[in-house]
Amino acid sequence: MFSYYLRLAWISILRHWGLSLLMICAIGLGIGAAMTTITVNYLMSANPIPEKSAQLYYVQLDSWDVNDPFDDGLNPPDQLTYTDSTNLMLAKQAFRQNVQTQAFGVIEPEDPEMLPLIVNGRANSADFFPMFNVPFIYGSGWSNKSDESKEFVVVLSKATNDKLFGGADSVGKSIKLEGNMLRVVGVIDNWQPKPRFYDITTGAFNDSEDVFVPFHLIADEKISRSGNTNCWKPSGDGFQAFLASECIWTQFWVELKTEQDKADYQQFLNAYVQEQKQFGRFQRPLDNRLSHVMQWLESQEVVADDAQMMMAMSLMFLLVCLLNTVGLLLAKFLGKAPEIGLRQALGASKRTLFSQYIIESACIGILGGLLGLTLAFIGLKSVESLYGDYMKGLASLDTNMAISAVVLALVSTILAGLYPTWRACNIQPAQQLKSQ
Amino acid sequence: MLETGLILRALARNKIGALLIALQIALTMTIMVNAIFMIQDRQQQMQRKSGLDEKNSFYLTNTVFGQDYNIQAHLQTDLHTIRNTPGVVDAIQINAIPLSSSGWSMALQHEPGEDKDAVGTAIYMVDDHAINSMGLTLVAGANFQPEDVELRKEGQSTWPAKTIITQAFAENLYPDNWQSAVGKTVYISQTQPIQIIGIVAALQAPWNGWNGVERSMLVPFQRESKGSYYFIRTEAGRRDELMPIIEKTLAESDKKRIIRRVTTIEDTRERSYRQHNATNKILTTVVITLTLITGFGIVGLAIFSINRRTKQIGTRRALGATKGQIMRYFMMENFIISTFGIIIGCFGAVALNMWLVNTFNLSPISFQLVAFGVITLFIVGQLAVLYPARKAAMIAPATATRTI
Amino acid sequence: MLIMKNINKIFQTADIQTHALRDFCLQVNEGDFVSVTGPSGSGKTTFLNIAGLLETFSNGEFLLDGEDVGKLNDNGRSRMRNEKIGFIFQGFNLIPDLNLYDNVDVPLRYRGFNAKERKFRIEQNLERVGLASRMKHLPSQLSGGQQQRVAIARALATDPRFLLADEPTGNLDSEMAQSVMSLLEDINQQGTTIIMVTHDAQLAQRAKRTIQVKDGKVSELENISRQHNQAIA
Ligand SMILES: Nc1ncnc2c1ncn2[C@@H]1O[C@H](COP(=O)(O)OP(=O)(O)O)[C@@H](O)[C@H]1O
Ligand SMILES: [Mg+2]
Repeated sequence: MFSYYLRLAWISILRHWGLSLLMICAIGLGIGAAMTTITVNYLMSANPIPEKSAQLYYVQLDSWDVNDPFDDGLNPPDQLTYTDSTNLMLAKQAFRQNVQTQAFGVIEPEDPEMLPLIVNGRANSADFFPMFNVPFIYGSGWSNKSDESKEFVVVLSKATNDKLFGGADSVGKSIKLEGNMLRVVGVIDNWQPKPRFYDITTGAFNDSEDVFVPFHLIADEKISRSGNTNCWKPSGDGFQAFLASECIWTQFWVELKTEQDKADYQQFLNAYVQEQKQFGRFQRPLDNRLSHVMQWLESQEVVADDAQMMMAMSLMFLLVCLLNTVGLLLAKFLGKAPEIGLRQALGASKRTLFSQYIIESACIGILGGLLGLTLAFIGLKSVESLYGDYMKGLASLDTNMAISAVVLALVSTILAGLYPTWRACNIQPAQQLKSQ
Repeated sequence: MLETGLILRALARNKIGALLIALQIALTMTIMVNAIFMIQDRQQQMQRKSGLDEKNSFYLTNTVFGQDYNIQAHLQTDLHTIRNTPGVVDAIQINAIPLSSSGWSMALQHEPGEDKDAVGTAIYMVDDHAINSMGLTLVAGANFQPEDVELRKEGQSTWPAKTIITQAFAENLYPDNWQSAVGKTVYISQTQPIQIIGIVAALQAPWNGWNGVERSMLVPFQRESKGSYYFIRTEAGRRDELMPIIEKTLAESDKKRIIRRVTTIEDTRERSYRQHNATNKILTTVVITLTLITGFGIVGLAIFSINRRTKQIGTRRALGATKGQIMRYFMMENFIISTFGIIIGCFGAVALNMWLVNTFNLSPISFQLVAFGVITLFIVGQLAVLYPARKAAMIAPATATRTI
Repeated sequence: MLIMKNINKIFQTADIQTHALRDFCLQVNEGDFVSVTGPSGSGKTTFLNIAGLLETFSNGEFLLDGEDVGKLNDNGRSRMRNEKIGFIFQGFNLIPDLNLYDNVDVPLRYRGFNAKERKFRIEQNLERVGLASRMKHLPSQLSGGQQQRVAIARALATDPRFLLADEPTGNLDSEMAQSVMSLLEDINQQGTTIIMVTHDAQLAQRAKRTIQVKDGKVSELENISRQHNQAIA
C-alpha cells in the first residue's frame, strides 16, 4: 500500500509540477536559511570542553569603584587585578588554579637567515595545560615547581614548532623570545577550542596562541602584555605601581571537582574579600562569582547579537515558507475534491486518504529538505566568505546538522500538510457531486 | 469598489486560504520592515566619516625586539625619513588607529575628584604633525607646538598639559556652546588638569560599535614603546606606490625591529565594517527571497484558485462580465487580503522592533519605514496577482456551457 | 430579432478541423419560443454559444436586435450579453461560494445598477421562481431543480430580451423538468424570447417552434405549436 501511495504522490507531484516546485523551493529556502543560522548559533554556543565544562570555574570579584560600579552594578568586572589573582594563586584552595593574560613578543630564530617572528602568546600557570585538557605531541606543560622556581620555559603550538624546528621534537631546545632564552618543554597538537572559552575577553573566536609562557615572565617584565586593561583608579608611575594598582587585566580559572568543593571555594572567596575590605579595598557589596564554562560563555554573550538576530529572522522566514506550503497544499488537495469524492465512492476510508495525502506532503518535505541542505551548505560557505575570520570554523555542516535539516524539513512539511490533509479527508462526496 | 461586499462574502467561505496569504504577507512585512531598518542602521553607521584622509593614508606597525635599543632616537630618524620621502605629506607615530578596533580610552571630567561624572573618550598620542598627517580639520583653537610634545615612558601615569578634542566631544562637554571649550581646563585620570587648546571637526575612536565613537582626544605624546604605529599620509593618488617603498626603507634601515601590517585606512575601514557589510548582504538576500517567496506563493495560490473557478469565471463572463471586470475581481480580492495581512503586519513589525529594541538595543523604527513596507507589499501583492488575473480574464465565456 | 446568415464555425485543433456549423441560417422573431433538437455533436451548443455571444464565428453574418455582432469587440459582446441575453445552463453554474441572493446579484453588478435597484430585482426574481425564502442558502443546500430555478432567476434579473438555455432540464428528473418547463413557458408568455436546446422530444414539443440541427445545419420541423403560433399571428 505504501508504495502505491508513493506512486500516487509522485504522479501528483509531477502532474502539478509548477506548484510542487514552488513548494519544494519554498521549503528548501526556508530550511536552508534556518539551518545556516542555526548552525552558526549552534557552533557559537557549542560546549568547547564538554568532558569537564561543569568543573572549570571562572572567578569574578567585584573590586570596582563604589561611585561608578562596573557594568552599572549588574555584573562584577570580567577580569581580576594582579594583586587578587596572585593572592588566590598563593592560597591554592582549588584542585587546580590558573592565572593568565595575553602576551606578545618577537622570537629571534637562531638561524640568522630566518626573519624574526612576531608571536601571540599566553602567559599562564602550570595548571593551564591539565585543566583545559591541552593535547601534546611532544613533551608536556611545565610543573608547578617550575612556576615556583620561576624557570624560563615555553610550550609551543604545533604551527610555531613547524616554523622554528620544522616540526621536529624540540623538547629541551631553547628559543629566544624578547631576548629571553626559554627552554621548550612541550609542543601542543592542533588545539582550537570554539569558542576559545579560556579567554573570551580578547575575542571568543580568535585563534589559540602561538606560544605559552609562565605567568611570572609578565610580572618580572620579561615579556610584554597585551589584551584588555581596565582601570577605575589612577595608578602611580612605573610597572610595579601598575601591578599593585586596581587595574584589572588577569583572568583566573579554578578546577573544582564537586559541588561541595565549589561551595567551599565560594566561601573562601567571600572570606578573602572580607579580609581585603580591611585594607580599604572592595568597597562594593559582596559579589563574588564562580561561573562554570557554559555559564561564563552565556554571561559574556558569546553568541553574537547578529547571529541571534539572524536566527530569529530566519525562523520567521521558515514560518513564512511553511505558511506558503500550507496554502499551496490546501489549494492542491481541495482542487482534488472531485477525485477524493470519487475515491470515497470507490471505498476509500478516511484513514487511507489521510495516509495518501500525508505521504504526498512528506515527499515534498524530503525533496525540500534535500534542497534546503544544499542551500544551507551554500549559505554557510557564503557566510564564511562574507564574514571572513570572524566566522572561521563556525560555518560547517556536520552529519548531525545535515540530518537535522532533513528531519526539520520533513517534520515541518508534515505539520504543514496536516490541515490540508484533514480538510481533504473531510470532503463530503455527496456535496461534491451537487455543487459541481 | 464595485464588488467589495461580494468578494468579502466569497472570501468568508474560504477563510483559511485567505488567512494563510494574509499571514504570509503580515510576516513578510514584519521581517521586511525590521530587516530594512537594520540595514539602514548599519549603513548609517558605515557612512559616518572617520575624519581621516582615508584615500591617501596608511599605517604600519613597528615592533622593536632588540635589547638596549634607543627607541627615542630611532623614532626621530624614522619620522624624519618618512616625512622626507617624496610624495609623503606628513607622518606621525600614534598609539592606535581609528576604526581598527583596538585602542586606548580615558575619561575627562569638569571637576577633579574620584566621585565626579566623567565622559569617556578615545585617546590618540601624537605630535604636532597629527592634524596634517591625519587630514583633520581644525575648527577652533590652535594646533600643538613642537615644544608641547613630551616623551612618554612605558607605564607613565601623568599626562601632558594640552589636548585637542573632537567637536562631538566638545558638544558633549559643553552642550550650550561647543566653541567655548577652547581654553577650558578639564581633568584627566580624575585629578590631572589638562587644557583644551583646539577642536577638530571629526576623528573617530577605534571602536565603531561604541556609542561614543565620535569622541576622541589628541594628546602631545611621543611614546617610548616597543610597539607602535606610524601613520602616514601621502599626496593624492600616491599611496599604493609609496607603501612598499616606505616599508622597505624602514625595514632595511634597521634590523632590530619588524615592520608589519602595512595597511591602508580603506582596508581598515573594510575590515572594521566587514560584519556590518556581511550582515547587510545577508539581510538584503533574506528580504528579497522572502518577498519573492510571498509573491510566488500568491501567484501559485491565485492560479490554483482560478483553475478551480474556471467554470465560475466562464459563467460570470456569460452573464456579461467584461475581461476588465474579471481582472478587477481578482486584483480586488488580493487587495482585500493584502490589506488584512498588512494591518497585522504593521503590528507585527512594531512588535518585532520592540523585541529587537529590548534585546539588542536597537532604536525604534520610523513611521516612514512602516509606510514603505505597506506600499511595497501592496505593490508586490498586486504584481503577483496580475498574471493569474490576466489568465482568469482570458477564460472563454463558452467555458460555461462546455464544462460539466 | 435574431438573424443568422450563413454562419460557419470551424474548430481548429492540432490535428483536425471540426466544422461545427455550416452555412447556418436562422431567424428568430421577438416573443418566439424555439426549441432546438438534434443528435449529440450536431452543433446545438455551438449554435447557442454563438447566439449568446459566448463564442465568435468563423464567417457569416449575425444580427442581434439589428446590431451586427461580428463587428463587436470583446467588451461590446460582454455588454450585449449582460443587457440582452440571459443564460441557463445544463449544470446550473451557480457560484458555489455565494448564496442565492449574491448569485442573482452577479449580472446586476456587472450592469451597474444601484443597490436599491439590485435588491428589488433580486427579490422580485427569486420570488418569481419561488425561492424568496431561501435567499441566504448556498447552492449546495438546494436540490437540482431548485438550483436551476435560481439560475433562471439570475438569467431573468437583468430583464433580457433573449433567454438561452442549453439542456436546462438535462440534469433534472422529469417532474422537475416539467416544472422548469412551465416556468419557461410563463416567462415566454411575458414576452421574453427563448431559445432552448433539449434532447427531450416531449419537452421540445411544448415550444412554439422546433428546429433540428444536423451536421451543423438547420432543418425546420413542422409542429402543432408552430401552426398554432402562425394562427395567432
Ligand atoms: N472547443 C472545441 N474544439 C474543437 N471542437 C469542438 C469544440 N467544441 C465543440 N466542438 C465540436 O464541435 C461539434 C459540435 O459540438 P456541440 O455544439 O457541442 O454539439 P452538441 O451540443 O450538439 O452536442 C462537435 O463535433 C464537437 O466535437
Ligand atoms: Mg451540447
